[in-house]
Amino acid sequence: MTTLSNAPGIPAEGALAGLKVLDLMWVVAGPTATRAMADFGATVVRVESTNRIETARGIGPYHNNGQGPDHSGLFGNMNINKLGLSLNLGTAEGRAVLLDLIKWCDVLTESFSPRAMRAWGMDYDSLKQIKPELIMLSTCLFGQEGPLSRVAGFGTMGAAIGGYIALAGNPGGSPIGPYSAYTDYLSPRFALPTILAALDHRDRTGEGLYIDQAQAESSLHFMSTALLDYHVNGRVPQLVGNADPDMAPHGCYAASGDDDWVAIAVRDDGDWANLCSAMGQGELTCDDRFADFAARRANEDELNGIVATWASERGAVEIEYMLQAFGVPAHAVSNSSAAARDPQMRHRGHFVAMEHPEHGTTTFEAAKGQMTETPPSYRSVAPSIGRDNDLVLRDILGYDDERIAELAIADALT
Amino acid sequence: MLLSPYRVLDLTDQRGMLAGQILADLGADVIAIEPPDGSSARAVGPFAGDDPGPDRSLFWWAYARNKRGITCNLDHPDGQDLIRQLAAGADFVLESADPGAMPARGLGYDDLSADHDGLIYTSISAFGQSGPKAGYQATDLVLMAAGGPLILSGGAGEAPVRVSVPQAWSHASGEAAIAAMVALRARSKIGRGQHIDISAQQSVAAATMSANLAASIGAAETARVAGGMAVGPFTGKLIWEVADGYISLTFLFGSGIGPFSQRLFNWMYDEGECSQDDRDLDWIGLGAEFISGARPLSDWARLMEVVGEFLKKRTREELFAEAQSRSLLIVPVTTVDEVANSEQFEAREFWREHEMPGWPDPVRFPGPFVKLSDNEIEYRRRAPTLGEHNAEVYAELGLDHDALSDLRERGVI
Repeated sequence: MTTLSNAPGIPAEGALAGLKVLDLMWVVAGPTATRAMADFGATVVRVESTNRIETARGIGPYHNNGQGPDHSGLFGNMNINKLGLSLNLGTAEGRAVLLDLIKWCDVLTESFSPRAMRAWGMDYDSLKQIKPELIMLSTCLFGQEGPLSRVAGFGTMGAAIGGYIALAGNPGGSPIGPYSAYTDYLSPRFALPTILAALDHRDRTGEGLYIDQAQAESSLHFMSTALLDYHVNGRVPQLVGNADPDMAPHGCYAASGDDDWVAIAVRDDGDWANLCSAMGQGELTCDDRFADFAARRANEDELNGIVATWASERGAVEIEYMLQAFGVPAHAVSNSSAAARDPQMRHRGHFVAMEHPEHGTTTFEAAKGQMTETPPSYRSVAPSIGRDNDLVLRDILGYDDERIAELAIADALT
Repeated sequence: MLLSPYRVLDLTDQRGMLAGQILADLGADVIAIEPPDGSSARAVGPFAGDDPGPDRSLFWWAYARNKRGITCNLDHPDGQDLIRQLAAGADFVLESADPGAMPARGLGYDDLSADHDGLIYTSISAFGQSGPKAGYQATDLVLMAAGGPLILSGGAGEAPVRVSVPQAWSHASGEAAIAAMVALRARSKIGRGQHIDISAQQSVAAATMSANLAASIGAAETARVAGGMAVGPFTGKLIWEVADGYISLTFLFGSGIGPFSQRLFNWMYDEGECSQDDRDLDWIGLGAEFISGARPLSDWARLMEVVGEFLKKRTREELFAEAQSRSLLIVPVTTVDEVANSEQFEAREFWREHEMPGWPDPVRFPGPFVKLSDNEIEYRRRAPTLGEHNAEVYAELGLDHDALSDLRERGVI
């Protein structure tokens, strides 16, 4: 893997070159959306403050298991290609800089709890008076109004109150849920197309737009069928482990290694016959207990026992190759070292290495969409706090030495 | 609406339908194209009344909204010709066929863009259009395993467990909508469209919250913790059992979460359920005390127990109410029926209704994914019945009633 060089700056090329984004968001949901814009050439100014260290800087994985504000692989991954400005919004001088940046930008994104921007006189209704073409995204757990709109929340809480935690777990056990801040992964898929559609609309009409995103609401579109099943059929999902309504066997089976698991899904009788052949147990295809889906479901414990015994004697990757050679859906359950070795992830260039001033090199994930004409570019690692103050204040805002010194004296740049 | 000027040919099945839905909700004219015997998505359950049928798939109801629906046999030369004609008038094509299947029909990007270089053509597949696993068979579970989220969810030493509502293809569809919109911005700059290749395996990797980078940056693998997450040497417990069910409490130290923990302990102290020493801990700097060894790690386990005991005596409603007045990071773990009946979504007038054919009552759908100050998302069409818009769409190609009858008889539409 080639190691790219780290050179923060204003990109000249890319699908979104020339687009100016002021990013006041933090942790995962918001920064994911602005990172995608930065990858495709937008100039994204990410505002942080040392007075309230961004939560993501404290979340792992940590470079070389170390501690410090620039050790977080999560923060590093969410914020490549962005310019970092430290700004103390508790000072009037800091807020004056913010207002200058708002006048500069095309898109303003914020994920404070509702009312913070209003308290500073920087809510959309105020800002559109000075900049009618502004596109502004406010994104938080529950949106800008409603009885719960003041509930402060991270995506872990969105996963709980948005119904996702109760959708994963084993029968009779406690809910387990998907990993961590699940709604944070879903909401950018709705925020970003909306911002880009708003820009296209602005270019045609000159009109700006305010986007009020409740991450909990956006995320319900990933579980629409369950909501309909409740509304139409009155059904509430139960904890079912990895059981599937239409497939058996279907689950994660322990393979021979340490914490080594393989996912296997048998969609139909054809897959079943192929699985039996792959396992060298062709006689099972004539076994009435497993003749069709209904039979396999009725005898699922015995079925899982047979597959589990077979799987326990081989490695998960070996099983994946064996079953896929027979056309049966299967894959090793990948952890981070398996992902780094995965030949398909390598083929896709999923992991990108770049020089890092503190760690020598760092690794982040590539942009998700592969595009033939306007590929993403990787220009700089995530900023340390205030790394690009000079570039932003001088080159973007045109401040002189005197102005910058005044800001420093007023404690506005911390 | 924001995307009113644009037309999308949506050739996806259940592996990509959310992509076109996002564009349709934003106002694009999305034409869903199905085989004459119906999309395979119409066979995806659950079904209205648990009674399978092409117009009763709740998946189809959910993800074909705001689209017009036509039929076309992509394996028939005349059907392929119709798609080429329709693509000539479209801005976007979305497809989710197995890699290689569309080019084999003469409907790949090169075919459709040859005389129409403005076309934005997005392919959604399990592992991408090329590479050693491009031909792999995949399901939701297999993709969640391959992309990294699955290993992180479940109890230590136990089998990883997935979200029971399939998620993988929705992740891929969301990325497809994003990339298609990036390409629209690019088109206004470079004057031409392009081919976009979306891999579901890569898309679901977002749900690892960067834990999939651990090995690459010299970090330890992230431990699997039932109802929680590992934060360095600490267990961050997120799901807690209370008197009448479960809540999510984010309990940790540091400048982001520490102040919330401080307020929780203030409350516990007021109720006589923690010591003054625990209340007066440095909830911002506590992590550093553990890491330096100034305070033993076992003390963290003890603090979690103190919190757990406090929570067990209280109900979800009581805890959630106090969380709002005291600004604590507590919400109930909510089941689907509670989501559907939530006062918050009601107050924001979130839900939308459609009359669905063959179903007696109006059906309630999750509402607009964002609220807009202008050009609001409208639920202007329910999911189409099979071939519902054949006449109006094909009329644009100059096909009259007789021509359509002929195509129907020959199994083209």
